[in-house]
Amino acid sequence: MLEFMDYVQSAFYAGSRWNTDNSYASLTAATTNLLDFRTPNGVRLHVSSLSSPNFATSYTLGNKGVVDGSFSFLFSNLGVKVASRSSAVYLGHLVRGYRHLQALRKPEDASAWETVVDGKVVQMRDALLYGRMYLPGSTLEALYLRRISPSRLLSIRAVSGAQLPHGGTLLAQLQNDQGKYTTEYLCSTDSALLGFRGLYNFGYDPRDQNSQLDSSAPAHPWDHKSGRLSVGAEAYFSPMNKSGGLSTGLRFTTLPVHTGIPYTMTLTLNPLMGNLSSSYAVKAGSDLSLCTRFDFNVYSYESDVTIGLELWRRESSTAWARKMLGSAWRTAPRPTGEGAFVSSDFVTKQEDATGVVKARMSAAGKASLLWEGRVKELLVSVGAGFNMKSTTRALGSVGLEVSYSS
Amino acid sequence: MAFNFNWSPLIADTERVRAMLTTALNKSPKPPIIVDDILVNELNLGPTPPDLEILEIGDLAEDRFRGIFKMSYTGDAYLTLKTRVQANPLNTYLSTKPSFASPQPLAASSGLTIPLQITLSDIRLSGFVILVFSKQKGVTLVFRNDPIESLKVSSTFDAIPFVREYLQRTIENQLRVLFMEDLPAIIHKLSLRMFNPEYQALEEIRSQAAEAVQPRIDPFADSSAETMGGERTPADGEATETYASFSQKNLLRLAALSESQRTLSLFTPAIRDTVYRAWATAADRGQGMSGYSTPNPRIATLSRLNSSFDRSATLSSTASITSGTGSHITRPSLVSNASAPTTYTLGSGRPRPHAQRKRKHRVVNLRKTAVENDASDVVSQSSGYDDSISASESRSKEESSSVTNPSNQIPSVLREGEVSTPPRSPKKIVGFTTDKADGVASSSTPSRRPITPLHKVIQPPDDDDPTPRASMVLPAKENEKRPQRQHLPRMQTLPSRPKGELYRSHSEVKLPDLSNAFNEGSTGGILEQAWMMKMASEIARRVAEEKSGGERWRRTSDGGTSTGGDAPPAYAS
Repeated sequence: MLEFMDYVQSAFYAGSRWNTDNSYASLTAATTNLLDFRTPNGVRLHVSSLSSPNFATSYTLGNKGVVDGSFSFLFSNLGVKVASRSSAVYLGHLVRGYRHLQALRKPEDASAWETVVDGKVVQMRDALLYGRMYLPGSTLEALYLRRISPSRLLSIRAVSGAQLPHGGTLLAQLQNDQGKYTTEYLCSTDSALLGFRGLYNFGYDPRDQNSQLDSSAPAHPWDHKSGRLSVGAEAYFSPMNKSGGLSTGLRFTTLPVHTGIPYTMTLTLNPLMGNLSSSYAVKAGSDLSLCTRFDFNVYSYESDVTIGLELWRRESSTAWARKMLGSAWRTAPRPTGEGAFVSSDFVTKQEDATGVVKARMSAAGKASLLWEGRVKELLVSVGAGFNMKSTTRALGSVGLEVSYSS
Repeated sequence: MAFNFNWSPLIADTERVRAMLTTALNKSPKPPIIVDDILVNELNLGPTPPDLEILEIGDLAEDRFRGIFKMSYTGDAYLTLKTRVQANPLNTYLSTKPSFASPQPLAASSGLTIPLQITLSDIRLSGFVILVFSKQKGVTLVFRNDPIESLKVSSTFDAIPFVREYLQRTIENQLRVLFMEDLPAIIHKLSLRMFNPEYQALEEIRSQAAEAVQPRIDPFADSSAETMGGERTPADGEATETYASFSQKNLLRLAALSESQRTLSLFTPAIRDTVYRAWATAADRGQGMSGYSTPNPRIATLSRLNSSFDRSATLSSTASITSGTGSHITRPSLVSNASAPTTYTLGSGRPRPHAQRKRKHRVVNLRKTAVENDASDVVSQSSGYDDSISASESRSKEESSSVTNPSNQIPSVLREGEVSTPPRSPKKIVGFTTDKADGVASSSTPSRRPITPLHKVIQPPDDDDPTPRASMVLPAKENEKRPQRQHLPRMQTLPSRPKGELYRSHSEVKLPDLSNAFNEGSTGGILEQAWMMKMASEIARRVAEEKSGGERWRRTSDGGTSTGGDAPPAYAS
């Protein structure tokens, strides 16, 4: 489950019309959502509030150590219009599962961001400021986002703590989204790490006025008309350590126009370390998603297979009535066309779910189980991790998280 | 002196050494680059032992040794370690950083663990080492300086020069730390395990209990062991201290002894199986004497009847022992009074009050003030002492140190008289014989306080019983010395004793009689014994004179009654 602040941040992205899917970092987003979910550890309580569309606060209290906690504040000059009450928030927006990628759009015109204020042309720049303080350890996290242009996003992240080397770290990221391809440049003060990420989408080029989204039936299942093939790469280099990293990846995902079962296939490769990872995620039904991943190392022959599933439990009070609806009324009205922007994070297709169960199991013996849902007006997340191969401790970690927001 | 190295036992026991070395290497937190535990694959100490050159020997005995050596090793020992390391530097770098500000690469930080085997060979050591060996405590080896001169590190990454140099540097540094800090502990534990099977058994019990065991208390370091001579008998009934050098009782007695010497306490603990310097001179004379009489005078020099601390357990035990053995008590049982059930004790079953340093009045008035019954004298003595004891009961803290009160136990009185009394002028004994009345009168009151009534002087040996006894003879001997005694300066500060009686001397004189009277012991050497005791008491008194000087002064503060006009001059103290 997304924390409240992450939820507000994704609402900021959506309100600022930023495509979070179009990045190499989210190449395997569907797989990581289904297989690498985080299980709570210990007991934690979240109390959050969106006091105004511009300001959000959140407090957490946990039992790590004796007591640990944090409080955070978020400010955005873009009003975040999203349901924030824990009794009303759509669970599908909080719990990330299989993602349908949103359509590619060409970057907006700079004129779209101009408004006239008092007769002067002012460029609107959406910005977000976020700070979080962890109490027992006195660690401070800070985030600054700014949409410096319709196709650029600058994010500066910082962590400051006494126990950290050099007192903290600063990471600056500049993302450039041109629709067909995206590039990211990042640098970190920690050992002067420099990084570059790039993603290229084959097929439809939203910038090309002539090419329209072909709505004819695909000639074969691999036709990229109903699917999108993306390839990307990343590279990191640290002049201080004289070390770095490199990886490349490939993804094919089906678009919403695809008539069959939506699926996503990814393949990532680390040529320096010889790591190979391939995954296959499928949305088997409206409430069920499955995913498998196979990791292999060509140098050390280490391998692992992970299987995960996600099962949604919907309210069934009005399900029978919905089945009787005509096809035209079945889905909630959505704006269509290239101009319309619907963030894939905030697609509301069905009535809300009451709970979701996630499970994963790996060949190395590690298994996890998670249930997230709404109880009364609280959002509850219960999870446990198991280690089947361990003889001493079969139950790794158990946790409970309760969240309330207003 | 030469050193003979038996190098093989250490090599033979490599299994345990390997286990301990593995534990030591994995104890400290490992850097993130090391993914798995560090295992010791192979350890071979090589055929050549290190060269040791003796620089200094600090302590040398049959079962312990300490010395400083200059050690140099140029042998063929080698050590092989096995572990797994992380080959992706980005992985190790990012794993230690907070995830909020990490770039979170998609796949560039995926890990690759590589098994690594490192062999350390061609080890050259040279340094100063302090080696302490003791049979009970094992071997301890401490390096004064950093001993590693050079070593060769070869690993599975030898083909990559960068990695090879990095490994060489890192491992050399780690080994220096290991030698200086961890190796002494390992060797110590290993030696304890080998030399002391009890330690081994105990260690197993410890490991089973999985509890932190308190460190063994070695009460006295090696240095003090020499002062104690050979007193390393294991404590009686104390099996827990399997390799304790000292018996608990002896330790306590020694502490009491040192304290008494420091604080002028009148109590001196009885220490068995000891040899005192003062015995040397008296030993010539006392060859044929019974056990209890011979050591008495010697013990008297060192021991004080008054006990000021609670050693009741030990003292009473010794008391019981002494009393049990009757006349064969080989040491002055100061405590015996408390628990002595012998008939010698007259009305003394109760615990003795103590802290009677001031009470002890060891001056016996040898002038004859009255001729009385031995028994009556004894009774009076005892009663007097009882009174004094009761009087001083309130003051005493120690019951068992009633040992110091000799009155209640006649036979031990003599011993105690020797033991506890401050030095007396031997001449008082002398005077005792000639002036029996004085002696009797003077010695009649054993009281240590002015309050105690002055009883009749202790009866001189002569009594109505015409049977020839040593007591009859003793006075004669004492007579000879009496004139000398007369010249002794008179100590005005004698408290509680009207005539500066030397009760002890009297009692000691009487003791053989009494012991004979009550005992069916042989009467053969009584005469000699009596004379021996007398001589011994003289010596004892002389030696203890200085120490008890302060006590005399204190006694005066008790508001001691004047010693009376007739009192022989108290010993000059």
